[in-house]
Amino acid sequence: MSFTNSRKEQLSSFSFLLPYLLVFVGMIVVPLFWGIYLSFQKVDLFGPGKFIGLDNYVRLLHDRIFRQTVWNTLYFVILTVPALVVVGLLLALVLNQKTRVTSMLRGVFFASTILSVTVVTLIWRIIFIPNDGLMATLFTHIGLEPISFLSDPDWSLISIAIATVWWCLGLPMILFIAALQQIPREIYEAAAIDGANRWAVFFRITLPSIGRTIVLVIIIEIVMQFQLFGQALLMTNGGPNNSSRSMVMYIYDLGFRRWDVGMAAAASQLLFLIILIAAMAQFYVSRRKGADV
Amino acid sequence: MKKQPLLLPVILSVCMAAGGAMAKTELHLQRFFGACDAQYGTNTDVDKAEGECGIMTSLINQFSAEHPDIKVKVTTVEWPGYDQLTAQMASRTPPDLVTMHNSVISDYQSRRLILPIDDLMKQAGVALDDFTDTAARGIVKEGQVYGLPIDTWTMLFHINLKLMKQAGLVSEDGQLMLPHTPEELLQQARQFKKATGKPYLVQILSNETSAYTRLFYTYMFEQDSDFFANPDKVSLQSDKARNIVNMLKQIYDEDLTTKNMDYPASVSGFTNGDGGILMNGNWLLGAFEVESHNPDSEIYNAYMAVPYPQLFQNDKLYVDGHSWVMPNKKRDKAKLAATAEFFKFMKENDYQWSRTGHLPSVKSVLTMPEFLKLPHRQSLLSVTTRGTGLPEGVKRQFAVQDILGEELAAAVTGVKPIDEALKEAERRINDMLANL
Repeated sequence: MSFTNSRKEQLSSFSFLLPYLLVFVGMIVVPLFWGIYLSFQKVDLFGPGKFIGLDNYVRLLHDRIFRQTVWNTLYFVILTVPALVVVGLLLALVLNQKTRVTSMLRGVFFASTILSVTVVTLIWRIIFIPNDGLMATLFTHIGLEPISFLSDPDWSLISIAIATVWWCLGLPMILFIAALQQIPREIYEAAAIDGANRWAVFFRITLPSIGRTIVLVIIIEIVMQFQLFGQALLMTNGGPNNSSRSMVMYIYDLGFRRWDVGMAAAASQLLFLIILIAAMAQFYVSRRKGADV
Repeated sequence: MKKQPLLLPVILSVCMAAGGAMAKTELHLQRFFGACDAQYGTNTDVDKAEGECGIMTSLINQFSAEHPDIKVKVTTVEWPGYDQLTAQMASRTPPDLVTMHNSVISDYQSRRLILPIDDLMKQAGVALDDFTDTAARGIVKEGQVYGLPIDTWTMLFHINLKLMKQAGLVSEDGQLMLPHTPEELLQQARQFKKATGKPYLVQILSNETSAYTRLFYTYMFEQDSDFFANPDKVSLQSDKARNIVNMLKQIYDEDLTTKNMDYPASVSGFTNGDGGILMNGNWLLGAFEVESHNPDSEIYNAYMAVPYPQLFQNDKLYVDGHSWVMPNKKRDKAKLAATAEFFKFMKENDYQWSRTGHLPSVKSVLTMPEFLKLPHRQSLLSVTTRGTGLPEGVKRQFAVQDILGEELAAAVTGVKPIDEALKEAERRINDMLANL
């Protein structure tokens, strides 16, 4: 009798899981394996492909532009992820108080996150555009030569990174605030009685207590920022001289503009592998350091 | 009561027959040229419409009004919309008719994704001979017609005559002095800069790759360079190519052009009097003409447009055009007849489209008094005879344009040596074309 009940409960639980599982398998697992299969084919969108083994991967690894997009994407992740974590944490520390002003400021800082990529790039193009842009006006006003933020190869990706940090800051900030609010007050009270200074409290209590959230934010941001696309497409179109072309832009170009779906699939697998390695490495390092994850 | 069982089927069949007779043939059109439904969504008087979007919207509205038996469904796509079209074709849900650049037709025609329209043109009473040679060359592939051409476009010198006068580049009898050699171009640009303190050229050098490519094509054609002798392989490492890039680089190095401007910045820069000559397409003709009648404008009564001046041996110009093409899908006779009607209508109304600034595709429009009265058109007529596109077999022309534009920009701005940029452009294009 108890066996029947347990089986019924299992079936009932499974019926709740089933819709998600169907979507997960249909939208994630099947495309993933299909993508791997396509990466070994010479194929466009309109006909049967031809098996060519590792040719797409060989072509990719010999392509200077692809290698440049890999570096660009890594550089962009290096520019944005630490900034998002550090600035997000600093904002969270400052705004982790229950006052009207801090509540309003949390809303203000989170507001950029809800904007679409089109609006974000419009705002930042107005700031960075040469001649009449905000930065150009500011530079001219203080007697400096304006920087060509979007058309200088040394600045293009940095400019996109600045816009991205402004855009994506809301999520890390909110996650850090939520984590900070979970730390029991008693620990801080005990530290105060022991005469611990602010730095000691921060490094010995606050940081270790939110270790799991820091790892979570880093992994989320690594995965997100590796997928740079919209901002780079709209702000610089990958230029100048491919200095801001990301891997996803390259994949999009291959698949939809050149109809080389097989090579686009191969590039997608390499991007997937890089994201996986980066996220797992971060996870592994955090565990070795003893973070409670 | 006994008659009731018979009555029902009779009523039903009458209703079905009436319904069938009333059913409209649906024609799904997909186009770019922007959206302006708030202003022109219901306008059927094309004479009252202005601009690409207004005129195209009004033309389709007029067609619908004149053909109550055809229900026209319009989808407006973000320019150029080919990614969306390709996805629609892959999922076998393409529209009935779609706007396409002539330079893109080969991509779709070579994979049989669009259909030849020779028979429908006959049905519509439209002949290939009705179109200008330049327009006709753009739509004939492997001996068959793959699109109904609606225009020809090229890049122009949009000129600020006030600044040109100030620079002494307008003669006493009001004739504009244009350069005839690369050296003359540089000399005039230096003279202009010295007299006005402003750059001679207003160019799009940021976030855009096509402008340099189009200029490069024109001046390669002028030097009789057969750089696409084989449509699958480009040849760019030549003195003819170096001549052009050297000229562009010198202009850039001597600050004879605006720098770092993207498309909208260059357009507003020209109207603000930031430089003498804007290098952009003929689609801006109408907008600048309107601006030149605004007393507050820097180009008030001082605007002129001419094709790129001839700097080398011959007077060929790079041109492209827009056409209506027919995606490959099943159609019944009624839909084919509706399509033929649409072709006929668009051909007959080509003058209206030419008001946008694009050059007509229909020969007879070129001699229409109302067309010739449109501003600047007389000086642009030759584009319809000397215009040249890339050879018909060259595929992925948009991708080729992007690669070439990127590398040319790198050479001109000094990021790469000229020879390295030309070599890299050649390698990248040939690698792409070899792997289609």
